[in-house]
Amino acid sequence: MYQASIDRQQDRPSAFVLLLPLLFVLSGTMIRFLAFRYAQPDADWTNYFGAMCRWDCSWYVSMAQRGYDTFPVPGRVNAGNWAFFPFYPMLVGLIGKLIPLPTIVLASLLSIITAYAAVVVAWPLLGRNIRAYTLYAAFILSGPLSMYFTTFFTEVMFVLLTTLTFVHLSRGNYLGAAGFTALLSATRIVGVFASLSIGVQALLDWRRDTGSWKGWLGGLLAQPRLVLAIFISPLGLFVYVAFLHYWMGDGLAFSHVQRAWGRQISNPGMYLWTGLTSWSTTPGQLLTNSQILALSAVVGLFLTGVLAWRRQWSAAAFALLAIVIPLAAGLASMMRFMAAMAPLTITAATLVARWRWLFVVSLIGLLAGAWFSTLAWFGGNVALV
Amino acid sequence: MRLSDRSPLTLGVYALAAILALFELAVLWQGLHPQVSDDYRAYYIDRSTTCLPQPVIGAYIVGTKLDLRSGGDDTRELRPCGWDGPAGDGMHSVGETSLLRFELGRPQALNLMLELTGTALPGPATQHVAISANDTPLGTIEVAPDQTDSFTLPIPREAIADDGTLTIRLDYPDAISPGPRTANTYWRSVKLTAASLVAQK
Repeated sequence: MYQASIDRQQDRPSAFVLLLPLLFVLSGTMIRFLAFRYAQPDADWTNYFGAMCRWDCSWYVSMAQRGYDTFPVPGRVNAGNWAFFPFYPMLVGLIGKLIPLPTIVLASLLSIITAYAAVVVAWPLLGRNIRAYTLYAAFILSGPLSMYFTTFFTEVMFVLLTTLTFVHLSRGNYLGAAGFTALLSATRIVGVFASLSIGVQALLDWRRDTGSWKGWLGGLLAQPRLVLAIFISPLGLFVYVAFLHYWMGDGLAFSHVQRAWGRQISNPGMYLWTGLTSWSTTPGQLLTNSQILALSAVVGLFLTGVLAWRRQWSAAAFALLAIVIPLAAGLASMMRFMAAMAPLTITAATLVARWRWLFVVSLIGLLAGAWFSTLAWFGGNVALV
Repeated sequence: MRLSDRSPLTLGVYALAAILALFELAVLWQGLHPQVSDDYRAYYIDRSTTCLPQPVIGAYIVGTKLDLRSGGDDTRELRPCGWDGPAGDGMHSVGETSLLRFELGRPQALNLMLELTGTALPGPATQHVAISANDTPLGTIEVAPDQTDSFTLPIPREAIADDGTLTIRLDYPDAISPGPRTANTYWRSVKLTAASLVAQK
């Protein structure tokens, strides 16, 4: 991941930069739609967005339509929807009041627009390198995991807000970064860790400007914008906690309700090792779902290491916490979590883009992978949950 | 903008930060002091039970024998929590406790009949099931793995509430985890295939 330029003119996207992702919007939609027709030939083609909406997507649809559950949950189940953070589903619900479209159609269209925006704003962080940018655009909009960013999951908003946070942070705009982090902390629980990135970046900026660690605390507290940014950045989470306390008397319901899903807090390393060593007993199966999920986390940790190697400590701290904390509750959804870690996927794109041959092979792989993974998505592959 | 500026804007920014800090502290305090029902606290917060009772009607006519296998009677309104199913081999217990709730209209002495099969998961030689009626212990039975047995236990009239409400509680001290690091909310013990309450003669 590169630093955004202080001079905004340098980072201004050209017409090519604006148009290229549109190509991948088209190719991605076409590949996923054809996979839908192939997987469900008898289904009504107009139900494409509905068919793509699987797993947690249906929770978000009901949240956008009906808001948060009360207690006892009306469906008489233990799993209330308090586990899901509000920003994106409520935004869709709000827009749905103005635009009379079926929720899943509206949400999918908004996700595609958000994904497009997430790609364009990542341009400076990709070093304004056209090959890295192309790969990143292909990954988000037309890649094997593009279903996360083009149906109704919070991941797409998470990617956009994370990217905007780090763009502003690399320009030294703590307040701007804090504003986006506040929204990020209301999008997914790990979003609040971007607050730590602001603190780390401010500390590094202090060290760079003064050449010393001496008097760092006083130096940071003497910056009113930074102090305000620190308290703005977790605001989304705190507002959600306040809402839950008002709504049902338990501000930490989003955490407590994990019990209904049987989430067991344990050593993340143990989960990782168990996943990696869950060998297949099915002939012909190369990797088990547990191994795929564990490998996703390993790749994420490797890319976090690359960020640390490049001394991009604010992004590395964010990525490390956003991997290790969910990993402590198991491997479930790890692939989705890793796909939505913008600092990691941006770093991966810049690495792969270094060699022309690797760029070409990766681009073809991403586009071809979209077909097979969409079929696996329709097939209910648990590794994609 | 620096602290040393001492301008109204600088002081205003610090004041705003202080207000946010106070708000966040207040919210944190609220978060750490939930105001919830005992059932909510026991299941979600203290984790002292695996059975979170859901509201059910409990309508039941004394003497009716209930078939709890798939295709049998619709017993949703009698099962507040701790059951998964129905399946072909009955209603599977899930967690360490299951409840059955009956609204009988009036208290009366009854005989409770439960037809149970022990889970086939590898584990103890028998599954002990401690049964109580509205907190009055009725006894502990033993269910062998993969073996179906019928158990009848008398319920004294005094155990039933004045309005005829009866909650049968089944506790499974030997419940078996179906896999490594599986939460106890998913542990298994018995399968209930039939149940009835018959008036004592």
